[in-house]
Amino acid sequence: MQAVILNGARAGESPVDGVHETLARALKDRGWQATSLRLRDIPIAYCQGCFECWVKTPGLCKMADGGRDVARSMINADLAVLLTSITFGGYSSELKKALDRTICLVSPFFMRLGGEVYHRRRYAKYPALLGVGVLPEAAPEDERSFTTLVSRNAINFHAPLYASGVIYTNQTAEAAREYLDDLLEQVVA
Amino acid sequence: MTGPPIRAVLLVGSAKPEGASTSEALGRYLLDRLAAEGGSTQLFLVNHVRDERHMRELLAALAAADLFILCSPVYVDSLPSLVVRAFEQIASRRPSPASATRFVAVLNCGFPEARHCRAALEICRIFSRRAGLSWAGGLALGGGEIIHGTALDKAGPVARRVRQALDMTAAALRSGADVPDAAVKTIARPLVPTQMYTLLSNFGWRQKGRKNHVAGQLGATPFAPRS
Repeated sequence: MQAVILNGARAGESPVDGVHETLARALKDRGWQATSLRLRDIPIAYCQGCFECWVKTPGLCKMADGGRDVARSMINADLAVLLTSITFGGYSSELKKALDRTICLVSPFFMRLGGEVYHRRRYAKYPALLGVGVLPEAAPEDERSFTTLVSRNAINFHAPLYASGVIYTNQTAEAAREYLDDLLEQVVA
Repeated sequence: MTGPPIRAVLLVGSAKPEGASTSEALGRYLLDRLAAEGGSTQLFLVNHVRDERHMRELLAALAAADLFILCSPVYVDSLPSLVVRAFEQIASRRPSPASATRFVAVLNCGFPEARHCRAALEICRIFSRRAGLSWAGGLALGGGEIIHGTALDKAGPVARRVRQALDMTAAALRSGADVPDAAVKTIARPLVPTQMYTLLSNFGWRQKGRKNHVAGQLGATPFAPRS
């Protein structure tokens, strides 16, 4: 099984990098092959909202940089992990920069599902989605917002399974590992 | 009732060129209404505030502002990365965290239903608190692509309810009130019936594909594993 970890830690966010290491170990112990992408080290241009990846170079962003590698890694994985410090209840700018560039993974065409309109699939198979947020301490509003965002992304990216959870920086490594193992159980088919 | 003149700062969250985005059209309309009875307005484009000089100008403008407005598209269920980055900068660099500056968000998405903007609006509300701003509410518009960057004054009957909602919002903000519920409900109503929007959008994508000579390849899967 293939997993990709999108690490959205900004410079100086070492606790997020610490969770990344724990997560990579947890995946390895399960026999998964995990690709780790530390996004701040990868040149990724911001999405210009031009929609050329839908109508000019279908499925491919016109910018040939790390954003393409992120999209390729995601769609070919069985599990995509969105790892981030929870930033105003959402993702860090580093993670969001990469995610904005993945709209090429869905079709421009709309469909109705459960009373709402979404983009149709482009690919036959999509990865399960796991959102892992990191916070210095409990922040219920931020955590609720993060959970909602991951669930919305899971719908829009046609994820077959999804889960989300929060690691606090004052948790012990053992407690964090146990929690991550529980989260992984939820996204393993 | 009208209060004292407002000093308003608008951040346009679209990365499209100046004059090309629906977010800018919404923001300019709102700024014009806010300034109709005096006051001052400033507009910043999010892809400009990536550089330090413009970010400093934005921070200085915010320090003197009564009202901070974000007009932004919604990308992947939340704010575009450039807006998140600007938020990170503002929240960490504002000199006096607790102030009387109010914050309003006007979001638009390409889906016909405005509720696709909810997660992004919640992020705006939480940012407001973290940056020491006073949350004055938010508006969410679905089917923003219909406006397609056209100035709202010239967008015709299809944008009538959008103008109404922004008129109500400007009047409320000028008087010191928050975004009224009536404006939230008015702008959230689909600009055209959902089924029609879906059909027209799908037709539009095909047209663009034809124009770019890729009509038969719109479903391409360039990252699929080769068999």
